[in-house]
Amino acid sequence: MLDSLQPLVFGMLALIIFISAAFITFSRNLIYSAFALLGSFTGVAGLFAMLGADFLAVVQLLVYIGGIMVLYLFAVLMTSGIGDVRLTNRSIAVKIALPLALVLFFSLGKLIFETEWFAQQTVKIAPTTAAIGDLLLTKYLLPFELVSVLLLSTLIGSVALARQELRNSKENHD
Amino acid sequence: MENFAIHIHESYLYGLPLSVVNLIVMFGAAFVVLLGFVAPFAGLLSFIERRIAARIQCRIGPNRVGPQGLLQFLADGVKSLFKEDLIPKVADKPLFIIAPYLVFLGMFTSFVVLPFSSQWIVADLNVGILYLFATAAITVVGLVMAGWGSGSKWSMLGGMRSAAQIISYEIPTGLAALTAILLAGSLSLQEIIAAQGPHPWQWYFFDNPFTFIAFFILFVALVAEGNRAPFDLPEAETELVSGYNTEYSGMRFLFFFFAEWAHLYVLGAILTTLFLGGWQVPESLLASVGAESIAARILELVFFQLKIYVLVFLVVQLRWTVPRVRMDQMMDMCWKYLVPIGFFCVAGVAIWMMLFPDGVSFVKYLLIAFSSAMVLYYFYKVYRNFKDSRAELELNPFV
Amino acid sequence: MQVLDNAASFQYFLPEAILGLTLLLILILDLNKELSKSRLIAPWTAGVGLVLYIVVALALRVQLPEAITFHGMMANDAFTDFFRVFSGASALLAIFLSMHSKELEGVKIEYWILILGITLGMPVLAGANNLLMIYLAMEMVSILSYIIVGYLKKSRKSSEAALKYVLYGATASGIMIYGLSIIFGVSGTLDVLEIQKFLVNNPVGTGRIALFVGLVMTLAGFGYKISAVPFHMWAPDVYQGAPTPVTAFLSVGPKAAGFAILLRFTYTALAQFNPETGIFTPLKYLDITGLMAVLAVLTMTVGNFLAIQQNNTKRFLAYSSIAHAGYMLIAAATLSSLALQGVLFYLIAYFIMNMGAFAVAIIVINATGSEELTAFKGLAKRSGGGALIALLMMVFMVSLVGLPPTFGFVGKFYLFMSVIQAKLYWLAVIGMLNSVVSLYYYMRVVKHMYFDEPEDDKSLGLKGFVFPGVVASLGLATVVLGVYWGPIVTFVQESAQLISK
Repeated sequence: MLDSLQPLVFGMLALIIFISAAFITFSRNLIYSAFALLGSFTGVAGLFAMLGADFLAVVQLLVYIGGIMVLYLFAVLMTSGIGDVRLTNRSIAVKIALPLALVLFFSLGKLIFETEWFAQQTVKIAPTTAAIGDLLLTKYLLPFELVSVLLLSTLIGSVALARQELRNSKENHD
Repeated sequence: MENFAIHIHESYLYGLPLSVVNLIVMFGAAFVVLLGFVAPFAGLLSFIERRIAARIQCRIGPNRVGPQGLLQFLADGVKSLFKEDLIPKVADKPLFIIAPYLVFLGMFTSFVVLPFSSQWIVADLNVGILYLFATAAITVVGLVMAGWGSGSKWSMLGGMRSAAQIISYEIPTGLAALTAILLAGSLSLQEIIAAQGPHPWQWYFFDNPFTFIAFFILFVALVAEGNRAPFDLPEAETELVSGYNTEYSGMRFLFFFFAEWAHLYVLGAILTTLFLGGWQVPESLLASVGAESIAARILELVFFQLKIYVLVFLVVQLRWTVPRVRMDQMMDMCWKYLVPIGFFCVAGVAIWMMLFPDGVSFVKYLLIAFSSAMVLYYFYKVYRNFKDSRAELELNPFV
Repeated sequence: MQVLDNAASFQYFLPEAILGLTLLLILILDLNKELSKSRLIAPWTAGVGLVLYIVVALALRVQLPEAITFHGMMANDAFTDFFRVFSGASALLAIFLSMHSKELEGVKIEYWILILGITLGMPVLAGANNLLMIYLAMEMVSILSYIIVGYLKKSRKSSEAALKYVLYGATASGIMIYGLSIIFGVSGTLDVLEIQKFLVNNPVGTGRIALFVGLVMTLAGFGYKISAVPFHMWAPDVYQGAPTPVTAFLSVGPKAAGFAILLRFTYTALAQFNPETGIFTPLKYLDITGLMAVLAVLTMTVGNFLAIQQNNTKRFLAYSSIAHAGYMLIAAATLSSLALQGVLFYLIAYFIMNMGAFAVAIIVINATGSEELTAFKGLAKRSGGGALIALLMMVFMVSLVGLPPTFGFVGKFYLFMSVIQAKLYWLAVIGMLNSVVSLYYYMRVVKHMYFDEPEDDKSLGLKGFVFPGVVASLGLATVVLGVYWGPIVTFVQESAQLISK
């Protein structure tokens, strides 16, 4: 029902994403950068919603803000001395990076506009959850199962890295 | 919603494009819901909570402002508005200022998908239940921001605790909700309610033993997610002064409490929607007022509210009767008990659905009988406690 | 080629299923208090699981016809089976080395689980027939590698290596997935064989430029996995910081998996195969062989010249492994059946000699506690088996240079032969010149061992026959296969069969 507003909505979302991304990159304060992720993630969720990927949009919110961003915040806040100026963000080698980035931006932009992309017929916006569920258990069953193995091993591995060795803590007490 | 927008468009704003009208209507609806419904509710709830708390502690509670002290919350609100808005010197000012709004935002956007009656819902998203959990995520960010921005140890610890708590308990929440989603085959809140019925034996709560357990998991997990006692470690007064909101004052301070009470309502709404049949009203009753009339909608709203209030009452009572748990106990409970039991329930429901696609009436009645016995015992215990306390208050709520 | 559905595909996935079950079994066994006390249960279970894995993979290779399985996710052909056996064997040896390394004394079960997880990812990467699977398997190998590299928590070097690995890896995989998304955007499909069909049917169009950019980006991801210059910067630091057995594993297993997917992608998606002549013709406007050749030259040269300056054993072996990736890349760039066989053949040779060199390095590090190359000084004169170990190390070094009569020589011979047959003489010449450079630094180790005096009088202290026996058999294999390599050639010829339409 918002067809005529689509360019406007897209523009707003893109602006949100762009501003927060720029903030993440250029802010001197690491904590502000971490919080600015909120805008970027929400904007991407908005893009998904605009494209009719309702399930993805909500999962983006749930996983990226509820999970990943909070973990980032944890990591940032738990680091001692994070408020120190020395530890915070600094953009280095701007003089080299900026022209390179601009060249990359314009060449990719040109590429995007000049390429004949594979375009499907306009898809009718419909609930996607059931279709995603079906595909996960039929066509994409193998990747789905492999991801579970990957996640399990990663979980075990990260526990191994994060865990404090019992022996060490005993030594500390002595 | 859309019909309403078209109606407005045709009768009043035909000069504007329909999409713009749609947008206006949506924002308008959100505004009405926020101001006209959520704010008074949160306020009223604060009154109810204080009264119950007082009664449990053999006190009277607020009873001066307005009839039975009902308007106390308005007085409190006005007082908070006029208070000085303190910002500590060491606070991170921008974060300190934004944080309460984020908490507020996270909590109140969830009202958008709550199904108040079969037709009264701002947006019936087909991923409604996931959306509800996603909005809780924004609250977490706000809490951490408040904790860090205050520039105080207590706040910081409180913020971290609440973040750890909320993201941990999101897992049992999701698992327990999954049982109802499995049964309904949909993520839309309206469809989940429609798949149940008005009578208890049609509710998912009594559908099978696994959903029965899942209800309690969800209940506990949601209480923990709302940072409510006995899981109110982020604001544990004995350890952290007042947690993440220690440094806040005035209206900003109030925002946190708005959010907390609003969460209480959302908690009730989620449980009611997923397990207690939502706004379902018996058909005979519905027919007596006319199934399509406004009265029928109001009736549905009342049923929905009643169920919510019962649950809210339970949570409030829990807060004032159960001592606070320790941090490690709380994490243990989440990861070692609720999560495994949650998985067990999901698998159990799936198997149950395969074995008995139509459900088993015998089990349903057994579960209903069991819960009735539990409820009776509960009333008996409450009654005995009041007797034993020798309080003159007894059971009369109007003193 | 028929595309099988999930139920019919499961038998093709049996080896990996065994691996997954082994992984879970280790976890479950550890729950038992009595069993978890024993340090040997987990590695032995993992070892038995891996042996079973290899046996089943070899049995399936004979039993089942090649097929596209899981709705087009995997291509189960002889090529995939080769990498199953290869990754299983490298994991087996890595587990064996880990059990005998002092650095890894007292590791917990997670270590063995991580190794199994990486092993599970490698054959999936080799057989991936879908862009999604390519990315997923790549991450599976990478993410678990990051953890295992940082496994020595008390060592700052290990943590630093893990961090560097993560940062490089994240960048590379980000670039790669952007490239993959461009490929998808132009062709409209994730299936590698479908992409090839699309490219054959639409030989011209503006999409070609975008596709080429996408391919280059994807190549960055592959190049990172095989540590090709300019994506090699992580390798020396990671190899130095990681526990030595892990370094040995990473330099062989995941690198081979990276080569596997590089070969599969360039040979199936970007080329047309003529089964009668055995020639792969690159597709019009998408010929990245020139690019690969340039990368190969860079990789060899940088690897070899930087290896000269190294004083740390593991850094030295890291640069040497970069150089070897370069040798294999020149063959891969020629796009012919012979090159395919050559790379597989060389991978086997590289497996044996590199694992051998690392095993010796572990012995020396165990004994002296030093990772410097100077620890090799006078190795032949040390007590406790020094003479034998020095002899073996010399064999491995000679083989790594590629001198007869070792397996390394035969491997290099096959590589350069395929290059010469493709009439890319300049590549072959550069490759040989590079081998001459490598002679200098490999022989420096030999000089240390035989012509210098040891800096201390520590004994090598080798106990029992198992560990020296395995190292000796690696050395023996290097020499014997350098003289009699017939069966390996047959095996490789059978293995170099890619499914292509």
